[in-house]
Amino acid sequence: MIVRKIIAIALKDVTSTYRNVTALVMMLAAPLALAALLGLAFGGNDSGYSVPITRVAFVNQDEGRDSTRGPIALGTLLCDILHSPDLKNLLAITVFTSPADARASVDKGKAAVAVVIPPDFTASITSPDPSATSSIILYADPTQTLGPAIVRGITQEVADAFNGSRAVSAVMLHLAADAGPPPGQNGPNSNVTTEDMEKIILQTTSAYIQATQEEGFSGTTARGPQVDHQAKDPGIEGLVLSGMMVFFMFIGGANIARSIIDEDAQGTLPRLFTTPTRRSVILGGKMVSVFLTVLTQAIILLLAGGLLFGIDWGGVVPVALLTLNTALVSAGLAVFLVSLMKTPAQAGAITSGVFVTLALLGGNFVGSMPIGGLFSTIRRLTPNGWLLEGWDKVLRGAEAHDILLQLSVAMAFAAVTFVAGSLIFRRRFS
Amino acid sequence: MGFIEADNLRKQFDPPRGVIAVDGVSFAIEAGEIYSLLGPNGAGKTTVISILSCLLRPTEGDARVGGNSVVHQAAAVKSLIGMVPQDIALYMDLSARENLVFWGKMYGMVGAELNRRVDEVLELIDLKDRQRERVDKYSGGMKRRVNIGVALLHRPQALYLDEPTVGIDPQSRRAILDAILEFRNQGMTILYTTHYMAEAQELSDRIGIMDHGRMIAEGTHEELVRIVGEDAHVQLSVDRNLEALMNVWPTLDGVGTVSAENGKITLLVHDATSTLPYLFETAQREGARITEISVMEPNLEMVFLHLTGRALRD
Repeated sequence: MIVRKIIAIALKDVTSTYRNVTALVMMLAAPLALAALLGLAFGGNDSGYSVPITRVAFVNQDEGRDSTRGPIALGTLLCDILHSPDLKNLLAITVFTSPADARASVDKGKAAVAVVIPPDFTASITSPDPSATSSIILYADPTQTLGPAIVRGITQEVADAFNGSRAVSAVMLHLAADAGPPPGQNGPNSNVTTEDMEKIILQTTSAYIQATQEEGFSGTTARGPQVDHQAKDPGIEGLVLSGMMVFFMFIGGANIARSIIDEDAQGTLPRLFTTPTRRSVILGGKMVSVFLTVLTQAIILLLAGGLLFGIDWGGVVPVALLTLNTALVSAGLAVFLVSLMKTPAQAGAITSGVFVTLALLGGNFVGSMPIGGLFSTIRRLTPNGWLLEGWDKVLRGAEAHDILLQLSVAMAFAAVTFVAGSLIFRRRFS
Repeated sequence: MGFIEADNLRKQFDPPRGVIAVDGVSFAIEAGEIYSLLGPNGAGKTTVISILSCLLRPTEGDARVGGNSVVHQAAAVKSLIGMVPQDIALYMDLSARENLVFWGKMYGMVGAELNRRVDEVLELIDLKDRQRERVDKYSGGMKRRVNIGVALLHRPQALYLDEPTVGIDPQSRRAILDAILEFRNQGMTILYTTHYMAEAQELSDRIGIMDHGRMIAEGTHEELVRIVGEDAHVQLSVDRNLEALMNVWPTLDGVGTVSAENGKITLLVHDATSTLPYLFETAQREGARITEISVMEPNLEMVFLHLTGRALRD
């Protein structure tokens, strides 16, 4: 009988909620509309960002150099990198023989940026002389911003890698010089010659080239959180909708939890207390209704995301676990916050403020996209931050065991807030 | 021994300094009786009914319903009573039928029994044809009927109605009062709170008059009006010869005491209908004209005025 009454209360609330047009707009239409708008803004129905392909005029004047492993030409390596399959959706390379032709191509609007590798590029980088320098010349169309910035970033990253290789070689040689001659040999400490250093730099650089060619270039993803290249593309709509879904589930949960206060003010809760139904059962029913409402909301949004935007949410088990988890966190947080409020108006204003703040800190408005730095630490102080981490991983193809940490932390948030809220409500209505 | 018995009920909100809403109220209601609690707003009527429905716990005292303590046997009490709150306490976005089914479940009813009873109640409140419409589309009177219907679902032995006719049209009020009399005829014990003197007078077998949390008088209507005597009050003004009339009128048959204050004369008369023509006749004979006259038969309003010095509507 107790279970029947709890279910009756919960189903009554769910029915009421899904008959309320305003609630439906807030719970379902708003997240879908926002996801659609952001999806369109960032690339329509494609499965990812649809950044226009940047046309690059490339001139390689690098003369290269011989090494013990054969001739090396870092300019050619840079050209190969720009031609790599990883960048085929970003860059279209046209090779020119003269810098003037490349610049003319930019001037005529046929290319967004020209990249000119100087003749001494390899020689300078592999030179033991620390003062030896060489500059890659970038000539960009001033009306273009994103494309030239991408090319500049990639080129800079490759140049940094070469410089790093050169610095490592120099340090190794100095350390060797400081260590002195091998045991059993006599002589001065600085028995490393300039020729030795040049040889090591060449070997290091050629080894780097070999490694790069074998493993592929990861320049565009080297910074910030590492992303598994084998993972599936989550798509912008999935990332945005997951953020919106979590945010609006919090809001939806709070609206239902607020119905406890609403019912108290409207007289239906006191009337329920005059029936032969225990107060704990009535409050239990209200808690279950919060959970069921946000769970239904999540299922509808997940299905709508799949049907309307073609979002592949990921594996059934991790998505189901994460959905349940998100619903529990929403319910727990909503019950806790509303338990602290006295009037419906107070509950509405304060819960909205809290959820917007949590959303800003947790990253709901940037979707579940991984963002590094201080933000990634701050977002982990919020339950939605952990949930979004989980959704990001699941959208990229993670399995249940990959999101155990996120699930556990979010569950802890849910348990603590739900128990605290329930106790406060019980004390209030006892 | 009454079916409902209140014994020295006291309720103070936020003790020790909070408002004392009910202060030492005791009364008993026999089975099958209509008992009205009459008093102005804030008299403590709703607090008493809330204690008797186990919604509020008394600070002191206890009450029994069907022999069960409202303090210690709340579940048993709740299954015996049906509560009609003062304000409409329904789910506005559900239909009348959905509301009745939900509340029936809260009273522990299920399945075919529940559906059968919901049909009966819909018939009783005359909403069978519109049972599937949302309650927020109903008129005030229809909502009131559903509000009462909810309390009848589980066939309670006692029905509490807390000012059920506030803010509704005369036709709906009449229908509700007739229904209450019918429930009493079926053997239901009814506790009714109101600040409408006429309702209490018409419905009640016995009446308790409350003011400032206390029971100031209790009894049948006849017993209560006897507190102020059986004479009607006639109050009138004349344009001249006040002193002469003050000497003549006390000599007329059926006229008791005569007093004058601020130019107005008050007479206590045994039978206003037969005495009034003589009053006009003697005034004319003395060359005076009656410019204003009012007759007040002995009633609960006069009782309240007599006991508290204030009008019931104040």
